Amino acid sequence: MTISSTTAGSSSGAVHGAPAGESIRDTLAAHVSPDDRLALLRNMILCRVLERACCELNPRWFPAEGEEATIVGTFYGLRPDDVIAAHYRGPFIAYAMRGAELGRLVGQALGKANGYAKGRALGFTGPVELNIVPWVAGDLGTSLGVATGAALGLQYEGGDRVAVVSFGDGTSNRGDFHEAVNLAAVWKLPIVYVCQHNQYSISLHASQVLACGSIAARAAGYGIPGVSVDGNDVRAVHAVVQEAIGRARAGEGPTLIEACTYRLGGHWASDPGGYRSPEEENEWRRRDPLPGYERQLLAEGLVDQPALARLWDEVRAQVAAAVAEAQAAPPADEADLGLDEVFAGESALANGCK
Amino acid sequence: MPPRRLTFVEALVEGMRGEMRRDPDVFLMGQDVGVMGGAMGGSKGLYDEFGPRRVRETPISESAMVGAAVGAALTGKRPIVEVSFGEFLPTCMNQIVLQAANLHYMTAGKASVPMVLRTRVGDGPYRGHPQCFEAWFTHVPGLKVVMPSTPADGLGMMVAAIRDPNPVLFFEHMYLYHAIRGDVPDGDHATPLGKVFVRREGTDVTVAATGWMVHKALAAAELLGGEGVSVEVIDVACLAPLDFDTIAASIRKTSRLIVAHEAWKVGGLGAEIAAEAAERCFFDLDAPVVRVGAPQTPLPLAKPLRDRFLPGTHDILSAIRTVLTT
Ligand SMILES: Cc1ncc(C[n+]2csc(CCOP(=O)(O)OP(=O)(O)O)c2C)c(N)n1
Ligand SMILES: [Mg+2]
Repeated sequence: MTISSTTAGSSSGAVHGAPAGESIRDTLAAHVSPDDRLALLRNMILCRVLERACCELNPRWFPAEGEEATIVGTFYGLRPDDVIAAHYRGPFIAYAMRGAELGRLVGQALGKANGYAKGRALGFTGPVELNIVPWVAGDLGTSLGVATGAALGLQYEGGDRVAVVSFGDGTSNRGDFHEAVNLAAVWKLPIVYVCQHNQYSISLHASQVLACGSIAARAAGYGIPGVSVDGNDVRAVHAVVQEAIGRARAGEGPTLIEACTYRLGGHWASDPGGYRSPEEENEWRRRDPLPGYERQLLAEGLVDQPALARLWDEVRAQVAAAVAEAQAAPPADEADLGLDEVFAGESALANGCK
Repeated sequence: MPPRRLTFVEALVEGMRGEMRRDPDVFLMGQDVGVMGGAMGGSKGLYDEFGPRRVRETPISESAMVGAAVGAALTGKRPIVEVSFGEFLPTCMNQIVLQAANLHYMTAGKASVPMVLRTRVGDGPYRGHPQCFEAWFTHVPGLKVVMPSTPADGLGMMVAAIRDPNPVLFFEHMYLYHAIRGDVPDGDHATPLGKVFVRREGTDVTVAATGWMVHKALAAAELLGGEGVSVEVIDVACLAPLDFDTIAASIRKTSRLIVAHEAWKVGGLGAEIAAEAAERCFFDLDAPVVRVGAPQTPLPLAKPLRDRFLPGTHDILSAIRTVLTT
């Protein structure tokens, strides 16, 4: 697994995306406006602070540290009427960028009543009313099918809405992945598949469970564009995803993107680890996307040190307020098991993704 | 030699270890079963002893994993395939209910599928993936379905499951993993499959339970013992094929039956046992059979909701009081 940005899927000839090589960052960065560059930074910081808070509050939370550039780059800049399905690791920032309230999201991590689903769904679920495919079960890969179906719905209605779904490298080994991507390819569905490739599925390195080095290379097998991008470069991820979204909006069908990054933390917050080397972890800590991006923006003169410090302070205060709100919220209401909400009545048709 | 005292999970691993030593055709495959030692320590030490050929890491490809076990079993190997959590069984349903279950019968007995599918279910300290889907598989002829509740049976049934020439679905309750320690016999010990076990003798009412609910039933029996009510507790450690004879004998003694499981009450194992009781023991019963199980909602995940959703000792107690007063 390398982190260099290359296109993949060469055998199909159907390769799109960024030009290969080291210059990609500069080429793509040119397309990202200064405002967007700053917003990407803010969201990456928010992702880090928020997810750290969740890990501290819930030792069973799944740390997203190190993967902020991939997550933020993927889900930044979508339209509110697009549909997203975010990978379970670090999805809150994707939801927050659509307007989900931080206090309610943190409440979900704590099983509080103020969450978006009355404590029923998994903590990392998102509000369906913001056009987010929710996490209602823990079986990985199945949401790829649901997101693909959402794209079918969007295509069916006409217009130019798209679906963006992210998933793990490990998850890409589920049959559901193959079936979903092939279906989307055949029907030219308006969907972008983004693999949040952090090189691990729990204790297993991708090399143990993936014989083809690149997940993007699989795109050739489906006859769709496949792009491999440096997942620690937020602008590169953002540009590549936006390009794929453009194709999807234009009716040109799905794209498979692989954003190569690294899970700096454990599989879960209290994971004792021990299955990978400290050298490897240190090497990737050195490539931590957040300080890297800060350095870039400092060099470009978009921020200075005091502004950066203020930004961190603001975000910390924002997250502290969310944590306080979540902690103050009552636990999920045990009296509200919802026995009469198992089936939908007529009124429920008004809810869900609109 | 004094008996060894092992936790439930240690006993499971011990069962696999013994069979892997005894029979070179036995191997384990699953996610994170190697260096990490398995989810919740479920295969701890096996990789160190047997190496990567016999303790095989798999991709997240449950359908292929179970299919691979079926196929390897067809070639005479004795695979143990681990689906980390029972919640994922729907992802490999075809391989279980249409391939593993059918092969022996559909080949007119010329083929067999000596595989074990082990998986973790139930609520527990971990509180992840707690779905209990075990009853679904009792509907399917050709599958053996077990759910031990003690370390001794965990070991003994694991050994028996590995030696069994049929596909055995082995449900491991996560609460029991580290919570329970018990004596396990030394040496070559197999607990026969196809039996249920009387865990506590009583004369007033029979409670037939599975998994963690066995322990909740024993707790209820203990409490009621103080009130002079004598409760017989049966551990339905093998759900299929079901040893109803032992349950029937108990009903003839107590005239009252309660069935308790953590899975949904509707369409569950309790329904099957209650139906058998109606067919075979109608005139031995002094009260309607009562089922204790989870309410008819999807399994909610926040702790207060889960605690409300899960059937507990208090539900068994009130069921017992109900049947004693009808
Ligand atoms: C179908 C299914 N199989 C296994 C699991 C158990 N599991 C939970 S997270 C995980 C690792 C997932 O790896 P990846 O898709 O790469 O995501 P990451 O954790 O690295 O973000 C596994 C195997 C699951 N949730 N669903
Ligand atoms: Mg991964």
